[in-house]
Amino acid sequence: MSSLTYAQAAAQGIWNSQVDEIGYIPSVTVAPVIDHLVELDGGNNGRSSHVNPLSREEEAVGVIGALPLAGKFGAVVMQDNGFGNNITALTTFSISYHLPMLIFANTRGSLGEYNSMIHSVSQPAPDLLRRLGLPVIELDRRSSAQDWEDTVSEAGNHAKMTYRPVIVLGSFWNTDGKVA
Amino acid sequence: MRRYQALQLINELTADLPLVVTCAATSRELAAVETRDNHFYVLDSMGLVGSIATGLAIAAKGSDVQKVIGLEGDGSLFMNPNVLPTGGFLSPNRLFLILLDNQVYGSTADIPTYADRVDLGAIAEASGWTVGRADDEASFRSEYARLLNTAGPTFLHMRIEPGNATDVPKLLVDPVTITNRFQAWFTHRLGQGTEVNA
Ligand SMILES: [Mg+2]
Repeated sequence: MSSLTYAQAAAQGIWNSQVDEIGYIPSVTVAPVIDHLVELDGGNNGRSSHVNPLSREEEAVGVIGALPLAGKFGAVVMQDNGFGNNITALTTFSISYHLPMLIFANTRGSLGEYNSMIHSVSQPAPDLLRRLGLPVIELDRRSSAQDWEDTVSEAGNHAKMTYRPVIVLGSFWNTDGKVA
Repeated sequence: MRRYQALQLINELTADLPLVVTCAATSRELAAVETRDNHFYVLDSMGLVGSIATGLAIAAKGSDVQKVIGLEGDGSLFMNPNVLPTGGFLSPNRLFLILLDNQVYGSTADIPTYADRVDLGAIAEASGWTVGRADDEASFRSEYARLLNTAGPTFLHMRIEPGNATDVPKLLVDPVTITNRFQAWFTHRLGQGTEVNA
């Protein structure tokens, strides 16, 4: 069994999928994922050689999603309420041009949520993404941190094999992480 | 100078450089000037050219590709001006954005943009880019040559007149054919062979 936390397991899974660059849009929930990604890349304080902050989820699809055009592969770490910001880029760029990318997003708006409005975008996000033809893999308290690591890593392979973005949604409620 | 003449000039200067081109009339007119393997036409995704060019400039780190060029319009850059602070922050050595600023949405009935009141070059400058300004062929050539040889994100603000070329056919290709063609050219250019995936 992995001795990693769920957040660390997600980060390890991202690196295991052989990414060249990672871009992130922070949330309090994925902050421990980002910290571990940066630490494993030899950086600190949210920045390392291959892990960088980006200003918006749409921009992340452009910057990271373009890497396969140069023979490289990347991952985006974000929160699920940001899919409203990037679905035009995901469809007209990533899907239309057959460009693989791994996206790991934490979920909000369900169990463990305090915010009274975030469910209005987060709750329909998986159905919306699937409706657009994007594969969505959901992780939560019912599987181990080791399963999170393995699943995230294989999701990266799946993106490369199918030439499209693959999205892993992680619910941290009742894991060792926090929702918000 | 109109866009079509500017694109003829840019095409002449960029034969060996990756060129990521904004949607609609700009892609269409450049493809009419010449369709080349180093052209990546962004057929929709308005505003994304600078972000794509940023990703490719990061990917080209350590290669002998001098610059990755993003070719934007003023309306498109106003749709995603985040390109400027992000490019300034990440500061890839090989990032070069050329803005063809005609102060209108040229593909949308020439409705004016903000560009007659808001200076995109000044926003780029404030974000840490090295900025050049041009309004004719001579000034474009000299500023292009200077910025091509300047490390860090560079921005060439070219003022042009409104007006689309007439009788230019629409680009009705499957985007994945653009991916395959550009990817083969660029990965070869980067010295990585023509492997389609990472
Ligand atoms: Mg314009």
